[in-house]
Amino acid sequence: MNIENTQSQMRKGILEFCILSIIRRGEAYPSDIVEEMKGANLHILEGTLYPLLTRLKNASMLTYRWVESNSGPPRKYFSLTPAGEKFYGELEETWYELANAVNALTGVRPQTHPNNDL
Amino acid sequence: MKKVININFQGRVIPIEETAYELLKQYIESLRIYFKNEEGRDEIINDIEGRIAELFSERLKSGVTCITDIDVNAVIASMGRPSDFEAVDGEPAPSPSASGAQSAQPVVAPIAGRQRLYRNADDKILAGVCSGLANYLGIDPVIMRIVFVVFFGVLFWVYILLWIIVPSKSVEANITKRLYRSADQRVLGGVAGGIAAYFNIDVWIPRLIFALPLIIGIISGSLHSYMWDWDFGFVPRVVSGSFGGTMLITYIILWIAVPVAHSASEKLEMRGEKVNFNSIANTVKEDLEQFKVKAEKWGEEVKASAQDFGKKTSSQAKTFSSEAGAIARRTGSGLGHAIGVLFRVFVIFIFTIIAVVLFSVFIALLFGGVAIAPLSDFILENSFQNSLVWLTLFLVFMVPIVALVTWGVRRIMGVRSKRHYLGYTFGGLWLIGLICGILLVVSVARNFRNYARLNEERIGTIENRERVFVDVEASDWKTHGNEFFGIEVDNDWPIYSVGDDSVMINTVKLTMAKSNDSAYHIYRVRESRGNGKSNAMKAAERIQFSPLRMDSVIQLPQGFFITAQEKFRNQRVWIVIEVPVGKKIGFSRNIESYSWYNVHNRNNRWDDYTDQDDWDYYADRPEPGQEYVMRADGRPEKIASF
Repeated sequence: MNIENTQSQMRKGILEFCILSIIRRGEAYPSDIVEEMKGANLHILEGTLYPLLTRLKNASMLTYRWVESNSGPPRKYFSLTPAGEKFYGELEETWYELANAVNALTGVRPQTHPNNDL
Repeated sequence: MKKVININFQGRVIPIEETAYELLKQYIESLRIYFKNEEGRDEIINDIEGRIAELFSERLKSGVTCITDIDVNAVIASMGRPSDFEAVDGEPAPSPSASGAQSAQPVVAPIAGRQRLYRNADDKILAGVCSGLANYLGIDPVIMRIVFVVFFGVLFWVYILLWIIVPSKSVEANITKRLYRSADQRVLGGVAGGIAAYFNIDVWIPRLIFALPLIIGIISGSLHSYMWDWDFGFVPRVVSGSFGGTMLITYIILWIAVPVAHSASEKLEMRGEKVNFNSIANTVKEDLEQFKVKAEKWGEEVKASAQDFGKKTSSQAKTFSSEAGAIARRTGSGLGHAIGVLFRVFVIFIFTIIAVVLFSVFIALLFGGVAIAPLSDFILENSFQNSLVWLTLFLVFMVPIVALVTWGVRRIMGVRSKRHYLGYTFGGLWLIGLICGILLVVSVARNFRNYARLNEERIGTIENRERVFVDVEASDWKTHGNEFFGIEVDNDWPIYSVGDDSVMINTVKLTMAKSNDSAYHIYRVRESRGNGKSNAMKAAERIQFSPLRMDSVIQLPQGFFITAQEKFRNQRVWIVIEVPVGKKIGFSRNIESYSWYNVHNRNNRWDDYTDQDDWDYYADRPEPGQEYVMRADGRPEKIASF
């Protein structure tokens, strides 16, 4: 059993979720997304981000607009579409279900859904 | 010192070192291959390029004058290489929209890089079979290719079969280890050292395998005392042993085709991950198990879809018909594929034959040339013509062979240059060779341009004989002379013997005519060709041909000598024997040895050739072993043969 493989499989599943959640907070530029994830100690190669964004965009979860940049070619700023919002909501639900289940099974105190905290 | 070039990258002009540019280009090409089957490939590449351009702009703003290798490597490290994506990504996943956002992906995800057996569409010489197999087994494609080349006879059909059966696909390189020649452990080319490193064995093992046939060959060869005979001694005997030959050829191919490990990374690659037969077996086993799981799953799918199909038969009749059409088309294209494969094999077969023929022609010419080399002095006038001969031989025949071998080795090594310098060079050299050949023919032909015939001279008279016998001297040296360098020279040749400085020529014609008195008269006409009438005349005058004996027997020499200074210009001698009416003349069978050659060009208006030169013009040409009697009307009559 290859530990690295398992780890990357685990990471892979939540990647889309994380990216969508960053974009949901406001228009985002890919390298900013990478930086933000790096800040949260979730390292991702920029090269893997672009195909992911393109796939999400082609599935009309995301949309983008061009913004002129003074340090290079125009940049693509991504934002969520209504369909993306819905998709994100479903992912979020699944994530908390999973997180609770995993935590319950591994003995960590169950986390509540942030909405229930209100 | 490095060359800096300007590139237009995503709408920006970027000064970049040439090596850095190559790196960048390779990187983007690798991305392109990696995302080949991705729906939004161009967009992804474009986005990545945009980001790289941005990073470069930032770098340039910080004050550096150009983008270097280090910068490109830093960018690549932050973007990630395709191999890194695989570790993160698992596999180039199909787009979520295609499989439906909610549907779960199959559990059996192929392990990164190690998929099914494919023919490699990206790295191929013929059909990518070797490369695909090598990738599948995790070994160097070069090795696989060499195995296929060496065991061509056995593996030919395997190759064709795999070509037809196995689908073609871009396969990401899966090689952790490459075959290099070892610079540190070399006796000859370091081939054995490299193989030892590759298979993780002691270096003496491959050395012994390579050397054994040679040692055996030398020992057995030295036992034969006639080793240095003209059948080229022991070398072919070593080569001709099939095993020994195979090993020798393998070694030489490897020597040419495999690069030497110079840098530290190459040396690391040479040792690489452990590749042995266990790991190969494991790969196959893993794959078979996966295949089993897949097959079971597929079976379920088929069952499910069959049930599904049963339910929807009526409504889907239309769909079914279109599907059936698609399947039929696919089968058709499968057959077409097979035919295409066979056709290509056929074409390659033809090319191979052409190459082999070309090579053997060259070898034949080389040996023929060696054999004729002594004669060339007699035909070629000066060093100019001599060098033309060698240039022609070398350029017209050697260049294509060298080009072919170079091409083959480069294909095996996977070197594909965008520039066609090499092709142009070879093509140019070959054309030069052709021009040399034409010049040579023209310049030699000029030496045969003019024709001169000296007036007939009476060289002898025989009186008081009723019968004369014409014989040709039979010499011992002829039997020695008609074989040199193992090539037998037929009696049809006009040229007999080659001395150090002279050749004997036997272009002699005999004819009979009516004598006006009661004596036999012998006349001689000498003729030659040459560059200019006077040269031809001089050459004719230099011919020395006189009967050795003139009594009841006229004994003629076998031919006449020309020296290297005189040159061969189709010198000829015509002997006319006048026979008195009613008297007899007999001809020995030896007159057969005379030949008569015409070198002429009817289209040349300076060529004063006449029909008289033809052997058959004179009806009274004597036949060998015949006796004639001269009639009053001047025509000889056959009376006996012996």
